[in-house]
Amino acid sequence: MSSPSSGGHRFPLLTACPPALLPYVPRVPPTALPGKVTATTFALEMPCCVFDGHANASDAVWLVVAFANASDAFRNPPSREDVPPYERLPTAHSYMTLEMAAAAYACPAPSPAVLRVGGDTACAGEGGRDPCNGPLPSPGPYRVKFLVMGCHGPKAETRWSDPILLRRAASPSTIDPAPARRDSAAVVITSILASLGAALAAAVLGAVGAEAWGSLCRRDPGNGTFAHRSYRTHHIAPALPQPLPPGCGCNPPGLGCFAPRRPSPCPAE
Amino acid sequence: MAKSDDGIRILQGLLVFGNVVIGMCGIALTAECIFFVSNPHGLYPLLEATENDDIYAAAWIGIFVGFALFALSILGIVAVIKSNRTLLLVYIILMLITYAFEMASSITAATQRDFLTPNLFLKQMLERYNKSEADNNNDKWMTEGVTKTWDKLMLQNQCCGVQGASDWQEYTSAFRRTHNDADYPWPRNCCVMNAQGSPINLDGCKLGVPGYYNSNGCYDAISGPMNTHAWGVAWFGFAILCWTFFVLLGTMFYWSRVEY
Repeated sequence: MSSPSSGGHRFPLLTACPPALLPYVPRVPPTALPGKVTATTFALEMPCCVFDGHANASDAVWLVVAFANASDAFRNPPSREDVPPYERLPTAHSYMTLEMAAAAYACPAPSPAVLRVGGDTACAGEGGRDPCNGPLPSPGPYRVKFLVMGCHGPKAETRWSDPILLRRAASPSTIDPAPARRDSAAVVITSILASLGAALAAAVLGAVGAEAWGSLCRRDPGNGTFAHRSYRTHHIAPALPQPLPPGCGCNPPGLGCFAPRRPSPCPAE
Repeated sequence: MAKSDDGIRILQGLLVFGNVVIGMCGIALTAECIFFVSNPHGLYPLLEATENDDIYAAAWIGIFVGFALFALSILGIVAVIKSNRTLLLVYIILMLITYAFEMASSITAATQRDFLTPNLFLKQMLERYNKSEADNNNDKWMTEGVTKTWDKLMLQNQCCGVQGASDWQEYTSAFRRTHNDADYPWPRNCCVMNAQGSPINLDGCKLGVPGYYNSNGCYDAISGPMNTHAWGVAWFGFAILCWTFFVLLGTMFYWSRVEY
């Protein structure tokens, strides 16, 4: 692998023009997508129509990802062989990925409107297969920029983005499942039912107690009972008619028996 | 004499009517509680895993109380018509016992409902969904129940998480330990599926593009049926008890006036 210094000896410094600085700033899409920034990935707006006029169709556009505190120290690689791979992120604090043909960003805008950084889990750890768009190992913050690489080195670059901080997930043990306050309906039901139950129990005890007390003190049946009794009927044989005492001219029997009275003499006329 | 006779007849009629209503309400209570216990929405595993399924206990009590109310109402009608003091006393005592049980059921359903907060289900989902290692058999049973229920819930109701898909991003979870964040920002069942059961656009789902993932939270689908369950048992029980209170008072008055 040629080092930058020997490359500088190989080719005269005059032909290695510094890459054109494009005013475009990469950014996370402003639309509300819950997955645009996760714990190990983030999404970027596609830089459509940004490289027109600065890149041929055969040039490659790379994405440079660096830790926010290491972005100033990043130097553009002079050729494709010097591109820092994904595996060197912990040591080099930067890497390049998402190599795409410049035609992919040409106007009019192609269908996918975002780029997902960190979405490829199959290439992580394989080594050798670059460029690898592997998941980011730490929450960052990161800064990114686009770099157009031609046959002779970098041709154009965009500005660095603002620092992108990935999500840090909290532990579920911090969730408090206790209810905020007691629902009023539960209080109403409990209090009313408790009082009804207590009233019933008191009424039953009172009624049974009064009954027991009354049956202890009472000698004859009370007057307060209504006439709704349960009657038990017994069959009584009808009594035979008694013989009439002599001298009685009573008719019908049973009306009382009186001796017949002589009519009073008529008053003298 | 005739006036008090009329009064008695009216009281008898009222008590019979009251008992008829109690009998019908008892049958309705039994039917309602059987419906809830039969777990029509498949949410019982979630309650079981909270280890606080008292609203189910309240519904079970309601089944037996409803049946007891029906049987006792028939006894009450017979006792009132025959004006038999012993029967009336038996009726009153058994009704009081049933009253106490129904009070317990109603109060339990009303108060335990308060514990079913969104945070409770969120914590349970994060700690149990797709948990790979189990502490014991009971834990394994509850984990499987929670996982199956959530999978079914997310598919049938087109929802994700308790309050939304971001629940899976804001907190670490047992799911996150076995499924990496880049491939599975949230479970697959949060994606909109086609007829064959696979996501229509996996990349869109991972990003959270509307139309390719379920944006609603599942809390409404959980709390709706549970609220209906708890309030159905609590308020209907409360209404029956209020009515039964007056019928019992009338019966006690009637009992105190009947002569042997």
